Amino acid sequence: MSSQASAALGRPPTLSGILRALLQADLTVQLRNGRALVLTFLPPLALLYGLSAVKRGAQLGGPIVNVALALTLGIASIAILGYTASVVRDRELGVFQRLRVTPAPTWTIMVSRLSVQIVSMLAMAVVVLVAAAVIENVSLGPAAYLLTLLAVIFSSAVFLGVGQALVGLIKSADTVNAVGRLSYLPLFALGLFAHSTIFGTTFETIARWSPGGAVATLLAGAMRPAAWSGDTWWALLASVLYTVVFAGIGIRWFQWSTR
Amino acid sequence: MTATGPTAAQSLALQVEDLHVSYGPKRAVDGVSLEINEGEIFGLLGPNGAGKTSTLSAIEGLLRPDSGSIRIGDVDAGANPTAAKARMGVQLQSTSFQSDLTIREIVRLYAGLYGVSLTRTGIDDLLADVHLSEEASKRFSQLSGGQQKRVSLFIATIHRPPMVLLDEPTAGLDPQARRQLWDRIERLRDIGRSILLTTHSMEEAQAVCHRVAIIDRGKLLTVDTPAGLIEKHKDDPRVRKAAHGQVTLEDVFIGLTGSELRD
Repeated sequence: MSSQASAALGRPPTLSGILRALLQADLTVQLRNGRALVLTFLPPLALLYGLSAVKRGAQLGGPIVNVALALTLGIASIAILGYTASVVRDRELGVFQRLRVTPAPTWTIMVSRLSVQIVSMLAMAVVVLVAAAVIENVSLGPAAYLLTLLAVIFSSAVFLGVGQALVGLIKSADTVNAVGRLSYLPLFALGLFAHSTIFGTTFETIARWSPGGAVATLLAGAMRPAAWSGDTWWALLASVLYTVVFAGIGIRWFQWSTR
Repeated sequence: MTATGPTAAQSLALQVEDLHVSYGPKRAVDGVSLEINEGEIFGLLGPNGAGKTSTLSAIEGLLRPDSGSIRIGDVDAGANPTAAKARMGVQLQSTSFQSDLTIREIVRLYAGLYGVSLTRTGIDDLLADVHLSEEASKRFSQLSGGQQKRVSLFIATIHRPPMVLLDEPTAGLDPQARRQLWDRIERLRDIGRSILLTTHSMEEAQAVCHRVAIIDRGKLLTVDTPAGLIEKHKDDPRVRKAAHGQVTLEDVFIGLTGSELRD
């Protein structure tokens, strides 16, 4: 121990030092995790390409909505599959318990994890928007670009809240993975029809106010700031409500250990 | 039963008073009090489910006790948990680290969490000190059981804490790895650290602990040096019944806690 450059000697570390250490570690884990990288970029790009390639893609609401749906899928994949998988794995391994016996406040552990997920979502959004310019000829001005990235952060809260609720309510890693996949249907797939009357107006209304639908509407509105409407405000409000409910459940019932 | 050290004039590294911990209706720790002196190795012995890990978890801040007080040196852990945690080094019973990080990255993470600034060379030098240089680029899961315990102990003491808590530190190790870890624990004591360890091993308790407490059903039954425990309880009929010839620490343990199997 003599070669330690500088040691704490029982003094509490600084909050910024703790957050820096956690963020550096969580970012390294995220970049090194091949599954997380695939989940970040592949599903939204595949959906974007698919919607532009098939004729019926236009019936879902047009190019802007297609891009918004691709972004929604990317955000949902990262949060519901990637985030939950990493949390339940580390909980089962005892990683959280090991972190909790350090002076790091517990909220810093989660803030670091969530921040890395949001950074992933922003990276995904930039890649999807670049792809959208090529595939769908959708190009955004600087204001629309910034507003869209802001909307991505808002939208991330909805699905990270859902992910938090899943890991809060379910302890077993296998069950969380299974329920996460199943929950895709009501949470994201329903949102695909939020701007389409293919299945009738009642179905469209239900789809529009589903978590995926609200997020897609918000993102589509952010990409067209000039056309920001009452519907967009309602979608924003719905997103905030979904976030409060799901995150509330996830925080209330979350356990750091499976024991 | 209060476990007070033999030299009251010495400073206390840890002071636990009337600790109570429950899981719903089940009382896991029932009025435990103990004091550990600076530079002392204190062993907590008990059968499965006796309350050893719950006692340690309460001290570590992993669970909130129903009542009682915990002081780490002069810091009240209830009032100032962050300062208390900064003064403690902890090795959990079944610990793990982020599976995608290398040992070097894990060391950097925990050094940062304890406010220890280390360069890459500094980390490598420290790993060399504990014979883990070759493992620096490996993942934790790629290490042997003995190496994992060494890494855990190394990280637990990376910030040179005055108080070290070890939950069954040698469980599952072969005799060579166990002896090596005992050496490391004794070296920590030699540089002034106080250590509280839990163990199932009477051999370990006798080999490294200054004093030993036996805990069962959440209560501290007896506390003394290993030799003092044998002397104190050698004429207890329950201990005599458990003994096969000369009374050993294990006979005292079985005599006081019973011979029925625990979960």
